Amino acid sequence: MNKVYVLGGAQTDFERNWSREGKNVIAMLREVVSDGCEDANITYDDIISLNESDRVSCFVGSFLSELYNDQSHVGALMTEVDPAFFGVPSIRVEAACAAGAAAIDAAVTKINAGEADVAIVVGWALLNTVDAATNASYTARGTFVEKESKSSDLVGLYGRLTDAYLEKYGVDDKRVMRALAHLTELAYENGKRNPKAQTRKLFMNEKQANMRGCSTNPLIAGRLAQSDTVQITDGAAVVILASESFKQKHCPDRTLPIVKGRGFHVAPLELQTKLAEARVSDYLLPWTQRTVAQAYKSAGLTANDIDVFELYDYYTSAELIELSCVGLCKPGEEHTLVENGTIAFDGAKPVNPSGGLIGGGHPQSATGVRMFLDLYKQLTGTAGDYQIPKPVKNGLMLNMGGSATSNYAFILGME
Amino acid sequence: MEIKTVTVIGANGTMGCNISGIFASFGNAKVHMACRSMEKAEKAVARAAKSVRAEAIAENLVPATFDDLPACVAESDLIFESVSEDFETKEDIIHRIADHVREDAILATGTSGLSIDKLAEMYPEKLRSRFIGMHFFNPPYTLTLCEIIPSEYTDKEMAKFLMQYAKDKLVRTVVKVADTAAFLGNRIGFQFINEACQYAEMYKDNGGIDYIDAILGQFTGRNMPPIATADFVGLDVHKAIVDNIYNNTKDYARSTFILPDYIQKLIDQGKLGRKVKEGLYKTVVNEAGKKIQYVYDIDSGEYREKMRYSFPFAKKMIDSLHQGDYKAAFDSLKHNHSIEAEICLSFLIKYVLYSITAVKLASDDLHAADAAMATGFGWVPPLAVIDALGGKNEFMKLAQDRLSSELLARIKLKETLKDLPAGSYYDFRSYFKGKQ
Repeated sequence: MNKVYVLGGAQTDFERNWSREGKNVIAMLREVVSDGCEDANITYDDIISLNESDRVSCFVGSFLSELYNDQSHVGALMTEVDPAFFGVPSIRVEAACAAGAAAIDAAVTKINAGEADVAIVVGWALLNTVDAATNASYTARGTFVEKESKSSDLVGLYGRLTDAYLEKYGVDDKRVMRALAHLTELAYENGKRNPKAQTRKLFMNEKQANMRGCSTNPLIAGRLAQSDTVQITDGAAVVILASESFKQKHCPDRTLPIVKGRGFHVAPLELQTKLAEARVSDYLLPWTQRTVAQAYKSAGLTANDIDVFELYDYYTSAELIELSCVGLCKPGEEHTLVENGTIAFDGAKPVNPSGGLIGGGHPQSATGVRMFLDLYKQLTGTAGDYQIPKPVKNGLMLNMGGSATSNYAFILGME
Repeated sequence: MEIKTVTVIGANGTMGCNISGIFASFGNAKVHMACRSMEKAEKAVARAAKSVRAEAIAENLVPATFDDLPACVAESDLIFESVSEDFETKEDIIHRIADHVREDAILATGTSGLSIDKLAEMYPEKLRSRFIGMHFFNPPYTLTLCEIIPSEYTDKEMAKFLMQYAKDKLVRTVVKVADTAAFLGNRIGFQFINEACQYAEMYKDNGGIDYIDAILGQFTGRNMPPIATADFVGLDVHKAIVDNIYNNTKDYARSTFILPDYIQKLIDQGKLGRKVKEGLYKTVVNEAGKKIQYVYDIDSGEYREKMRYSFPFAKKMIDSLHQGDYKAAFDSLKHNHSIEAEICLSFLIKYVLYSITAVKLASDDLHAADAAMATGFGWVPPLAVIDALGGKNEFMKLAQDRLSSELLARIKLKETLKDLPAGSYYDFRSYFKGKQ
């Protein structure tokens, strides 16, 4: 199996509202792809010459572009970025909010198989084309619409997941809710260091996050309030992957991370079925745990070896549940990691130093690629103000789609 | 030193109220919100919490009246004065507090126009070193600029501390500015705005106000066209700022701060802009319930429906920006020699040159003007305009081509452009909108 190197990448500033800027998807793709190629030291001429020998491919993560942007055939949009992409194979990959990770997975597979030397992976979303209510109804397409989205939307499902968590482990609910509020505070705090984070100017603290139900923090799903989730975000991210032979030729002197391990599992689509199945497991999200276990196994690593995590905090409760799935603690004990500072920026196991989805922003399909890019930055020491204080040898990301349905994990590390 | 308690004086004004919210939230300070009546203070508390979208900070906000000032300021590490912009009102406040202020407290004023040196001299000598200007922009929750203006008496360590505090705790974009007229952001911003207002008069037969605004719309690097911005800010405020700069500066652009007669006329008629629903623009709801934008016609002195101008250069630019082709966008601006494109490009060039002139007078960091314009106005920063137009050499050529030799001589182009940094810290792309 061919090794996969990460050459670099870029993300847009997630604070930007591209509809308000009057810019379309091509503007977004042009910007992020040219920034990403520049960071990876790849020119459009390189792409032309790679394509002459059929050694380059593009993978574009995109979830709901038909609804938000009235646009299908998203892979082919790459040809609008620059004539260098004329003829380059490019496909769209979709797995709800895990579309970005799914695109990475396809790209890694391609290079593993020796079918390409360079893979450009893009995830993008322009969500500010609609209002908040429409946005919620569109996002619900990530559930089993006929059965689940009549009575609830995706938001509601995360409320139910939170209840199921409290019930399964019998933990003090006040304590858990405070831990969730603290996760929000950490997300905003971390976001303040990230110059591309959506919330970098915004105020939030644990107290405000814990005042669920007040007018500035209304409840949105059962016990969960606005502060427990993300805001609507426009954005794109790109990473550029390469085979060992290309890396050796193109930049032999650079020390670059490789993809050490990965996992992918799809849990039952319906939340109700997920929860029923989980009754016989120690884990509330057994397929999420299995996904991470697969990544560890393929990398030959354990949680002890991981220095930094990018987890999927679509909801604070999702992030909490993931802490045991990635092996940082036993299920039911996650809140202690929040309370004792283990996962803080300067803790032993920093989680989401970028701000994650809540602090950094969640442009759906871009998220998985953004997480991957952030691991790359932490590993190469290029995260600037949000570079974690301790040395980084390995990092793990977990991206989920739907109500924790499509699960993707990647481990990046230095050789 | 730690800022645990703050008193904001004049906390029911827009700025006083919003800044109370900033101290109480990011700063997590207890804030005495002192107003002329308890009723006003109580209302201001609710508004302040709302301004940062966080009810959790309400318990940090304590309503107070001016009678409570002695006790409030005695307890405070920082006192922020935000009362009306005249020396008498400020002097009255100084009398009320001077005997009660702790000698280690910081005395900040939010003035946007008065001289910090002069205000400092109104304080008893022993307090002068603790006094400093701290100028926020409205609304501070979204515009993060904070100009710190030491007076000649200000303790240097205190100024340094306050800058660090504003940056790290209050999440502000801090620029240190000399005590010059209107400081930095407003001086640059209102130069552009007022000259646009003057051009509207000059080109009144072409349409005037909405004509110039259509030439300098969002596609030229801002969220709102310049004359609409004057209307939004309020014509009385606009006049106060440009009069102040005109009276207290003597650089080459001084005449661009002369308030046009038609704006004075509107002020005299009480048509102060958006806050009173009529000014340079107004919105009229027709019988069908549809909102129609009207604009003041300078020539006739009447309002008329706003026109939909369509300039070929602007159309091309907007189309290119919409698709993220920035090079094509600026090429269409540079290669078009219609009167509108010429006005547009010359404004961008003059904006850059005046910014550099102003920043050299007010700061030792040329990037300060970029920070001021990006985070105080939401405008494309001046050095980023140079990047957008193709870099320093190309910019110099454009300036030589497009500005009159008389103006170039006054500006001293080569000297102005000497020692420029290699580029802006800001990315110009997000500022140029793909729309009018």
